[in-house]
Amino acid sequence: MATALGPAPGTGADALRRGTTARLRWRTGFDRWVGYLLPLLFLVALVPIAYLVYFVSAKALPGLSWAVLTSSADYQIHDALGVPIVTTFLFMLLATAIAVAIGVLGGVAAAEFLPERSAGWMRMSANMLVGMPSVIIGYFGYFAFVLYFHWGLSFLAGVVTLAFFMSPYVFRTVDLAFSSIPRPIREAAFGSGARPVQYLLRVGTPIAFPQILTGVFLAMAIGVGETAPIVLTVEPGLLVPTGAFQPAVFTTYLIWTGFNQPPGDVAYTLAFQAAFLVIVVVLALNVVVRVVAARYRQRLEGLYQ
Amino acid sequence: MTEPPDPATGTGPEPVPPPAAAPPARRGWLRSLGRAVPYLPAAAPAAIVVAVAITLLLASGFHNFGWDFFGLKFNSDQGVWGVGVLIVGSFLTAVPALVLSMLLGLGIAIASTTYLPRALARVLDPTVDLLAGIPSVVYGIWAFVAVAPWFGRVLNPWLASHLAFVPGFAANSISPSSEGVGLPIAIFVLTLMALPITTLLIRDALRSVPRDLWESGLALGATRWEVVRRVALRHGRRGVWSAAFLGFGRAIGETVAVAMVIGAVDKLPSNAYDSTWTMAAFMFQELDAAFGSSRYLELLAELGLVLLAITFAVNLIGRRLVAHLYAEEVAGL
Amino acid sequence: MSAALDGGPVLQVRGLTVRAERRTLLDRIDLDFPARSLTAVIGASGCGKTTFVRTLNRMVELTPGLTVSGSIRYHGQDIYDRGVDPVLVRRRIGMVFQRPTVFPMSVFENAAFGLRVAHEPEAEIDRSVTDALARAGLWDEVKDELDRPALALSGGQQQRLCIARALAVHPSVLLLDEPTSALDPIATQRVETTMRHLKEELVLILVTHNVGQAARVSDRVAFLSAGRLIEQGPTAEMLERPRDPLTQQFVSGRFA
Repeated sequence: MATALGPAPGTGADALRRGTTARLRWRTGFDRWVGYLLPLLFLVALVPIAYLVYFVSAKALPGLSWAVLTSSADYQIHDALGVPIVTTFLFMLLATAIAVAIGVLGGVAAAEFLPERSAGWMRMSANMLVGMPSVIIGYFGYFAFVLYFHWGLSFLAGVVTLAFFMSPYVFRTVDLAFSSIPRPIREAAFGSGARPVQYLLRVGTPIAFPQILTGVFLAMAIGVGETAPIVLTVEPGLLVPTGAFQPAVFTTYLIWTGFNQPPGDVAYTLAFQAAFLVIVVVLALNVVVRVVAARYRQRLEGLYQ
Repeated sequence: MTEPPDPATGTGPEPVPPPAAAPPARRGWLRSLGRAVPYLPAAAPAAIVVAVAITLLLASGFHNFGWDFFGLKFNSDQGVWGVGVLIVGSFLTAVPALVLSMLLGLGIAIASTTYLPRALARVLDPTVDLLAGIPSVVYGIWAFVAVAPWFGRVLNPWLASHLAFVPGFAANSISPSSEGVGLPIAIFVLTLMALPITTLLIRDALRSVPRDLWESGLALGATRWEVVRRVALRHGRRGVWSAAFLGFGRAIGETVAVAMVIGAVDKLPSNAYDSTWTMAAFMFQELDAAFGSSRYLELLAELGLVLLAITFAVNLIGRRLVAHLYAEEVAGL
Repeated sequence: MSAALDGGPVLQVRGLTVRAERRTLLDRIDLDFPARSLTAVIGASGCGKTTFVRTLNRMVELTPGLTVSGSIRYHGQDIYDRGVDPVLVRRRIGMVFQRPTVFPMSVFENAAFGLRVAHEPEAEIDRSVTDALARAGLWDEVKDELDRPALALSGGQQQRLCIARALAVHPSVLLLDEPTSALDPIATQRVETTMRHLKEELVLILVTHNVGQAARVSDRVAFLSAGRLIEQGPTAEMLERPRDPLTQQFVSGRFA
């Protein structure tokens, strides 16, 4: 049946070659070249991240020493990161504790106890919160805690603001972890007479735990790199805070204040050293998230086999 | 409803009660109280969202700045604050960044799902995800110190000489003293920051296209490119659109990195290379300046409400379109 | 050249072997497919019948880790030869899958897909689509709703649309990989009717585990077991007087 579609399937050795028209060669050639060229776009991600890590390391590492990391001297005059590091650690400890409390309780409640409709609204709110610009959260902390609650520009205001910022990440992973427990497992547990609380503690939590952990690490990775919520709500302090209403300095604050100082200035040096530390911590947390997530996937897959 | 025996646990087919059923013997009010209790923790994110909105409303003092609020005249000393300048600045940075990161994201996602061998894709994909992990302020200092000077010396003049025919690009006033800060570097940083979101969501969308559908396309004598363009992208179009919306939400709300490279001047840019300001960056940098001026604080709060409304709308649409989000698990979008 | 003369088989399979890393999925298969015939490839699940049809249009190359040896000649030309473009092979040798795989576009655009990507002229597309829909026995049902999304059709209609879509590019061989396994009995019947019409003009190769279906529509039957071709021959002979005990078992088991 000869048609305008090209030669009819021929008889003979060139049955397939005869149809190789210029149009077809162009199509398959184009496809091949797309296949060669598109993967090069990965360089758009690869080159900047490599350059960024290299550049920050090159600026930070020469001056960075154990002495710098542990020196509690005044960071406005000396190359000393002790106070910011310890303070950031305190910030993260307290903010993570609050965020985990809010996120875990909320996530479990939404996944296990709320009707699907209401849970959907709660999920949407958590997503809205994740999508909220950090400066808005910072403003909320400033107006609500610093001004209306009269906490002033204080450690406590920063901790709570940061915790609010981190909480939806925990909430979402916990919610997801419990909602995605396979139905047969839930039903087997309830079918053998478990009460909801027993199910949660004995069955749900062990299954969901790795994923909850990834949520917590993810929230920490995002929290430790944040700037706006802290800068807007805390007065930078020269000492490690010992009380809720004292000033306190977060590591990213050093980056923000030093980035446009002349090279050679202590603030400039500190900015890059702080940036280096933040990158190391964030990347380490991300690696942990990935490893745990990969292992958790294997485990879940194991459940179905 | 009875279920078949579950091989995993060996329990027989028993009637299954609804998971969270309360024991029957409770008194009515106690039971409804018991049902209400979980709402308390579960509503925490919703409560925070509402609290943010109410706080900003209160802080704005419901002050009516009139239509000048959205105007393009800006003079802090005379108390003339037309935030239209900032809104324009936000869109001038976010829209080009979104377009660029969508194009790159499409390219990378197609390469990863269609052209690269699985093993290679598995190695390369995380490099894009890594971009999501770098904090905003670190992007800022790197862009300002390492990249911006190159923009000022090389890229901006090059663009100016090659795109001179495009209105706004023929800049005869690229000042060498600007250190390269301005629109192009801000767009560059925002593109990088939005790239993991757009890439991950498009990749997810393409991955969710059933294998059968790919193969059917190829079995009709289509090339891989033709199948991905005409079938896979269309099948995953909701994911592609959600990538656009969520990427835009990220770009327009980005604060610190933009504040560091945008140049921070309260005027409209006079050409494509000029400094300007964005809503988020302005709010971040001007809170100090507003100290003691309640009018200024009110203005900033109202600006916050505008930004909040925009990001809410954009996020809401974006997430409504999303079918499933592996991406948020990995990158915390 | 000998096998390529008119009247010879359209597809000629010789010594076809497919290996995965450690397993042999298909073992030295020899099989001819003459013009205007419907051959049913039957066998238990896992016997390699799906792998077999996927080698016939080089679809098997999409699965990494498989190596194909032996030869498959289409009118005498080995389709695995260097210089033979798989895109062209697949245009000559079409395929329909187990589940309906309509694309997320209109009925018309689905049927036109293969022609559109080949940049055929508009008039030719219109003609071929109409023709293909008619040959797939779908035209009367969809002629007034060509612009509706194809996903709105019923499962059986979707599967016949997939057949029409494959026919629209004028293949001379059509591979059908258990095309009715996802369909209800009535839809199955319609697809079988379509197959009976189509075998008058092209080579159909039907993979099925349903012996009844093979009996209803096929001219020839090939029985595969554990990657080997056990027996082949005219349908009546194969199903009523199989020589090999394995075939006997399979055929009688399914008839019982």
